[in-house]
Amino acid sequence: MSDSDPRQDQLLRLNAALDDELDAAHRVELERELERDPQLRASLRRLSAVREAVRRHGAAETAPAALRDAVAAIGRPKANGRRVPLSLAAAVAAGIVIGAAAQALLLSSRAADPVAAAMVADFARAGLSDRPFDVASSDRHTVKPWLVAHAPLGVEVADLADKGYPLAGGRIAVVGATPVPTLVYQRREHWIALTELPLSLGDRALGPREGTLDGFRLVRWADRERAYVAVSDIDAAELSAFAAAFRAAAAVGGGEAR
Amino acid sequence: MISDAARRRYQAIVPPHVDDAYALARWLSGDAADAEDIVQDAALRALNALETANVERPRAWFLRIVRNAALTWMAKNRSKSLSFAGGADDLAAIETVDFADDDGSPEAILIAAEDGERVRRAIAALPQPLREALVLREINGLAYREIAEATETPIGTVMSRLARGRAALAKILEDKR
Repeated sequence: MSDSDPRQDQLLRLNAALDDELDAAHRVELERELERDPQLRASLRRLSAVREAVRRHGAAETAPAALRDAVAAIGRPKANGRRVPLSLAAAVAAGIVIGAAAQALLLSSRAADPVAAAMVADFARAGLSDRPFDVASSDRHTVKPWLVAHAPLGVEVADLADKGYPLAGGRIAVVGATPVPTLVYQRREHWIALTELPLSLGDRALGPREGTLDGFRLVRWADRERAYVAVSDIDAAELSAFAAAFRAAAAVGGGEAR
Repeated sequence: MISDAARRRYQAIVPPHVDDAYALARWLSGDAADAEDIVQDAALRALNALETANVERPRAWFLRIVRNAALTWMAKNRSKSLSFAGGADDLAAIETVDFADDDGSPEAILIAAEDGERVRRAIAALPQPLREALVLREINGLAYREIAEATETPIGTVMSRLARGRAALAKILEDKR
């Protein structure tokens, strides 16, 4: 910038006036100059026209919804330093929107199946929460004692990392007034919540049963000691594969094979 | 490990300015998909910085991170195309342009301004330092000292870049071609 050129200084002040960045004294001075200088008035019109053009045509559209979601998700707590699944917020939102329309396909209705409703509500709440886990760890030797200490029920914690489902942590869910231990596994950018229930609360059918509630997938099964409910926003086939992997690992590792 | 305090500050500072960040990233990168990557990258940088940063002007602070993320991103991903928006020679030529040389007619600009595509091409053709000053001012609506903070540039330089940017744009828009 040339400080010595009066014409350039004048134009800098003109730009500043246009941007409302000129103090009152300089503004008065500039207005006087404008009155007696037609060339300066022409400059003001040109600058105003340029500004109008940029403001009118330069404004970008607002940020895409996916970006908005991703930016919000970055600020949410993470487990084990992993990114919170971006799909979860969208899935929860979708669940709320389509909730009324989404018929429970294979599971009975919400009213008739409070356990499924409680598990889906827990999954959705955890996804929105600052604390998706009560205990965050990929080590089952950390997660299991914590859950056992907080819920009056034995817990089977299977190590499924080599099957593509690393353990992310655990939390206590509540069905009615009963605290129930819940394991959280990760599948790519998604969580899978696996809750273990006393047989009195669970579904006693031994074979897995699949269903959808409020847009979330569920798989339920039982063994002789307890019932299980897996909830996630991954697709049905993947959740079934997870359930099969867990059952196989529990049957071997837990010494509770049927 | 990011603290809860940093996350709370992040939620107060970053998500509210995602539209501004996206607009700036689009104008700096010239590409909508790239802009999304840049803004996400900037958001992660912001979260990490908020562990210690003391933020007085949140929007200028975040846009500075967006700008740096954009410059890094472009240097890494497409060093070749930087020249299309004005290489070093081009920039030197325009930085020395006498912006007092403005005897064109406002009417020509007003006519050209009807053509949105033409205006956008003209903005995109500006050298990056002039383009970013103009975008921060006219699109993001930042005050001079916020632009100075976002671009890590003295206010005097911000003023001359805005004057040069507008003069250069006027010349492009007055051009009949």
